[in-house]
Amino acid sequence: MSKEAAFPRSSRAGNSRGLLWLAAALWLLPSEALAQKNSPDIPVVSTVTAIQNARIVPSPGQVIESGTVVFRDGVITAVGRRVDIPYDAHVIDGGDSLSVYAGFIDALSHVGIPEPRNQGQPESVPDRSNPPFERAGITPEASARTALDPEDDAVEAMRHAGFTTALVAPRGRMLPGQATLALLAGTNASEMILQGAEPMFFQFEGAQGVYPGTPMGVMSKFRQLYREADRRRKLEAMYAEDPSGLSKPPFDPVHEAFFPVIAGNRSVAIWADDVLEIHRAMTLQEELGFSMMLFGLEGGFDTLSNVAASGVPVALTLDLPDKPRWAAKVEADSLQRILDAYDDETRTATFRDVEAEQRNLESRQLWSRARYVGMAAAYHDAGVPFAFASMGVDAKDIHANLREMIGEGLSSDAALAALTTNAASMLGLSDRMGAIRTGMMANLVVTHGSLFNEDTKITMTFVNGHMFEAPASTGRTGSNSPSDR
Amino acid sequence: MKYTFSTTLLALLVVVSLGQAAFAQDVLIRNATVLTVTNGTLEDTDVLITDGVIADIGTDLRAPRGVDVIDATGKFVMPGIIDAHAHIALSSINEGSSPVTAEVSMEDVVNPYHLGIYRASAGGVTVSHTMHGSANVIGGQNETIKHRWGATDPDAIRFEGAPRTIKFALGENPTRVHGRRASGGSGAIVPATRMGVEQVLRSAFENGKRYMEAWDAYNAEAATNPRAVPPIWNERLEVMADILRGEILVHCHSYRADEIVMLTRVLKDYGMDKITFQHANEAFKVAPELAAYGAHASVFADWWSYKFEVYYSTAYNAAILTRNGVITSVNSDSGELNRHLYHEAAKSQRYGGLTDDEALALITINPAIQLGIQDQVGSIEIGKDGDVAIFEGHPLSIYTIPVLTYVDGVKVFDRENDPDDVRVDVDPTAEVGMYEGQITGKDHIHSHEEVVDMLHFFQSVADTHIH
Amino acid sequence: MKRFMTFVLAVGFLIQPFEVQAQEQDEKARQGTYAITNARIETVANGTIERGTVVIEGDRIIAVGENVAIPDGARVIDGSGLHVYPGMIDSGTNLGLTEIGSVAETNDTNEIGDITPHMEALTAVNPNAVAIPVTRVSGVTTVVAEPTGGLLPGTAAVINLFGYTAEQMSAGSKMVIVQFPQEPSGNRPRWQQSGPDRRQERYKDALAKLDEVFDRAELYDRIMTAYAADPSGKEQPVYAPEMDALRPVLSGDVALMVKVDAADDILKAIDWVQKRELPNVVFSGVNEGWRVADKLAEAGIPTLVGPVLATPTRSSDRYDRAYANAGLMAEAGVKVAIRSGESENVRNLPFNAGFAATYGLGKEAALRAVTLAPAEMFGIADDYGSIEVGKKANLFVSDGDPFETSTNILALFIDGFNVPIESRHIELYEEFLNRDEGRLKPVEILPADN
Repeated sequence: MSKEAAFPRSSRAGNSRGLLWLAAALWLLPSEALAQKNSPDIPVVSTVTAIQNARIVPSPGQVIESGTVVFRDGVITAVGRRVDIPYDAHVIDGGDSLSVYAGFIDALSHVGIPEPRNQGQPESVPDRSNPPFERAGITPEASARTALDPEDDAVEAMRHAGFTTALVAPRGRMLPGQATLALLAGTNASEMILQGAEPMFFQFEGAQGVYPGTPMGVMSKFRQLYREADRRRKLEAMYAEDPSGLSKPPFDPVHEAFFPVIAGNRSVAIWADDVLEIHRAMTLQEELGFSMMLFGLEGGFDTLSNVAASGVPVALTLDLPDKPRWAAKVEADSLQRILDAYDDETRTATFRDVEAEQRNLESRQLWSRARYVGMAAAYHDAGVPFAFASMGVDAKDIHANLREMIGEGLSSDAALAALTTNAASMLGLSDRMGAIRTGMMANLVVTHGSLFNEDTKITMTFVNGHMFEAPASTGRTGSNSPSDR
Repeated sequence: MKYTFSTTLLALLVVVSLGQAAFAQDVLIRNATVLTVTNGTLEDTDVLITDGVIADIGTDLRAPRGVDVIDATGKFVMPGIIDAHAHIALSSINEGSSPVTAEVSMEDVVNPYHLGIYRASAGGVTVSHTMHGSANVIGGQNETIKHRWGATDPDAIRFEGAPRTIKFALGENPTRVHGRRASGGSGAIVPATRMGVEQVLRSAFENGKRYMEAWDAYNAEAATNPRAVPPIWNERLEVMADILRGEILVHCHSYRADEIVMLTRVLKDYGMDKITFQHANEAFKVAPELAAYGAHASVFADWWSYKFEVYYSTAYNAAILTRNGVITSVNSDSGELNRHLYHEAAKSQRYGGLTDDEALALITINPAIQLGIQDQVGSIEIGKDGDVAIFEGHPLSIYTIPVLTYVDGVKVFDRENDPDDVRVDVDPTAEVGMYEGQITGKDHIHSHEEVVDMLHFFQSVADTHIH
Repeated sequence: MKRFMTFVLAVGFLIQPFEVQAQEQDEKARQGTYAITNARIETVANGTIERGTVVIEGDRIIAVGENVAIPDGARVIDGSGLHVYPGMIDSGTNLGLTEIGSVAETNDTNEIGDITPHMEALTAVNPNAVAIPVTRVSGVTTVVAEPTGGLLPGTAAVINLFGYTAEQMSAGSKMVIVQFPQEPSGNRPRWQQSGPDRRQERYKDALAKLDEVFDRAELYDRIMTAYAADPSGKEQPVYAPEMDALRPVLSGDVALMVKVDAADDILKAIDWVQKRELPNVVFSGVNEGWRVADKLAEAGIPTLVGPVLATPTRSSDRYDRAYANAGLMAEAGVKVAIRSGESENVRNLPFNAGFAATYGLGKEAALRAVTLAPAEMFGIADDYGSIEVGKKANLFVSDGDPFETSTNILALFIDGFNVPIESRHIELYEEFLNRDEGRLKPVEILPADN
């Protein structure tokens, strides 16, 4: 917010332009105090913001050098090189050192749903072979919407990482409920909710101590629910049309929750933790025919061709395997040499060969890790569009991981697309967000420096037009002094 | 920092991502002593495998151009070994939360990356019947797999066309897991005794029968009445119905003679004649009954005394059963024993004097019959799958060394040329050069996967005899 | 089995009592004077005698050779076409200490407490364990019975597999066991992920505890020695049976068996025993011994290796590593004996040895590894481990190489007793091979209605 605009004057817009430029110059001073969220007792004086003299990336591959974006009441009203800035705008001058991107979209996580405290031992039931649905982790009728909490630490952390929107899945075991689209800001849960897709969330997590506990149990239970729901759906339709002579069809909310899925009106969002779970998800989908979205796919390089051929929308995990402990102590160029030194002719015949064996195993491990890191690039090279999902990842690791993926061959544009346009497309949000265009929601990320550079910092995130500044002490890896602005 | 792949690593990558088509090849094995099992021993004989199938057996066979020729002079060729009781290549083994879980299937949790596949093929095994565990009276469906090491798609190691099978279990395991302690998420449930086991079986079969009848009735009615109401869908009873229809072969973990006979009584009541008793340590006591029923047995070479129900057993079990006309196989039920099943089978020569062909049949044609795959594997005959194992030294000698193993004509084990480290997926984070422990010849826990299953349901891992 | 029956009848033709005994259920093991003639004798100590005679009197071998006088009244066993071997020794088992693995009441291997070296396996061995006859009919006559559990689980006993009391079974040797702490490696298993990772801490504590135990043992030894030399005017030493058990280890009178497997742990264990100057040490298990074979050879520590029939210790290892382990160690100059690690299937010792032979150890060294080598390591080579005049008559007669599964064991001697080839397994075979031959009318299988 410019100091000028804080004290309204009656002078005409034209005269105040010069003053606006002065105010903009003054704006280069640190201005935490002016962040709206931090001081709710200070009255809001403008609902329109303009960011000027910034490098704007409306969508991957497009750049507007020294551009301006204007947004009012959470909607982008103008984007371009030469844009009229409304007289009442809070102007942020990029000083040609800021970049603006569309706010990132987290294709799947639990952000906004705090972890439950004091889990303790799960309760005992009379018969573990036939437990109540809830005890078995089967609550597909539940919704993440009722569990959202804008005060969840993850919300702020993800915002600081540049995320403005997420598909939030409820926590639980195999069928915790329906996921919801959500903005990563709000004074209460309702403000977070975005209307749109509410896929049924499914993961291969068995119940503890009761049926079904194992992955094969989970798969059978899913089939059972689906097929019985299909029967009931047809029965209910028949009964609704003409009940005469028919017993009342059985009803429970669990089976009921499958009806829209069976009708093709709702997708199933499946989290696949590893390559075998990808196969299991695809098996179920092929058998039952529901519309599927696949998330995670860690280590899924071996199934790339299957996934590509299936056309299933995918979001890859932002997680990367930790570097092995031994590699943490080794210089980067030595790591490259170790990798290149792999020799598949090595045989460990006796005690004399154990040193060479160790080196070779280290080599092989680096090569294996490289496959994980290069997976996103591989998907891109294979022409498979993907988004990114942060489930299970710490927000502060996300950008370091992205940089590693880019180092291993993923282009910056492809990475940005995964975070923005592809995610919007996958989640049915393309008409509202994922790009910086007139008419779209004002979800923006402002960085100091080009997004994926090592020392770049995210300085601000806008969610539905509301500004959130990165705190000086946290933020990104690299230097953090405010004077760097 | 960019990791550029070396060409050898790239080659490895290519190899492990080969599709189905690559899993049928050609090879000519020359001048070996061929142990056909069903047609005697042929000296100085060639075996030609074309497109994964045994195309010819004879002398001076000509190799088509480009086909690998293996000089097996002085070596022995036998049919690929078939392990009728394994738990390898699975992500999970026991859905131990219910005494009846017919609906679950090992097909859903096949893990082609499991090192056990290679290690068994290094002992001549080409086919494994990888099974649900023995926690439940009626467990899940099993999966017959081929040891196609290097395949990364679980579907690619399935033995296409192999009949469906299901795991039953009697005796101490299901009664302990369900009935004799409060465990997991609830107190004890039936069965706690062998009486309960029978009733669980009868109840499952009866419910399956009524379910089948209800659906048959519905299908008949639906032909003319569009408002016919189908019965409740039940995945579990669907499988019970398939068992009753004879579409699924029952393989029953059992030990005591009396419970073995009990099951034959129940099966007889429901009109089912195909049964293989697994382990069946006391089967020798009722060998005449089994022979009369046409029941089969798949037994250990010499495991006994680790539980009370195997205290009164004998290593002569396989020999007694064979002599009494029961089709018998020797299995491993172990990630260690399955690497030397040729040696396990050879023990039947010390314990009961079986002949060479009888001993070899225990791990080839007999398990093939028990798994319903005898038309494709189990012996070296023209038209059968090119699943063979080549040994230096007779396979039944303690001094033998398996050197080459082929599955559908594809070499899956090569003692001389395989690298030491044959892992297809390498953990990117684990410590390198780490001591991991061993499975030994007496270990009755199959794998970490099984321990995880047990921890899911039971408070402690102390009771490790899920076997 | 058929060969055994033929053999018995052939022998019975010569000596009446044998023929009768073959029919009876209660055959007795008898000592006396025996001569095994015309047999191929594997002496182990002095090579092979292609065609010779062994004479046994009482509990000892009194003659071995090509031309040996047969004493009057000796029971002659015609060994034509047959072989004689020293009774095999299994260097690590739980035999006799446990009857049924899953029935806790039958298990006497693991006493409460971390420091229990004074718990004597010999006390708890059940001379009537069903597995004992089952084992000895395979030619294994002697085993090490080991307690388990804790840092110092107890004192293992070397026992012969015939006798009615512990004293009768004892082969005159025992070893105190140390379960050398295993360094935790890698991540915790998935099922132990809760709570902070205390494994490294516990490991360091265990090493420190081990040192503390031996430091105190040394002090105790000094106190006891001084008191014994001249008790006058001295306070009576404290009662510490654990320390009493360790005194002979310090002096070397009793061997210390260090159980250790991982390569790094073996190196630490070598340093530890050398630092403490323990004079009489063997390592047991040693399943990664091949990785540090040069260090083991250099240290001159004998090893009890096995089980051989086991999977490799690392997923990156070659598949046959456990089979090849003993051979690789022997190649580097390490003394090896072979152990099965079994409780009820110790009879598989010869097969463990056979695999070790095949995968690098060689037949001769493998045979030695289950006979003379362990006898030497246990300090009982004067009495056991080979077929030599003056040694105890622990030997067996077979129709071939006992490592081969096709071989049958036809006669067995332990401490000179001619032990019958009988066991529960054989009895069940005899009863059930033709179960119904005693029945007049065939049994009706599965009555029509139930």
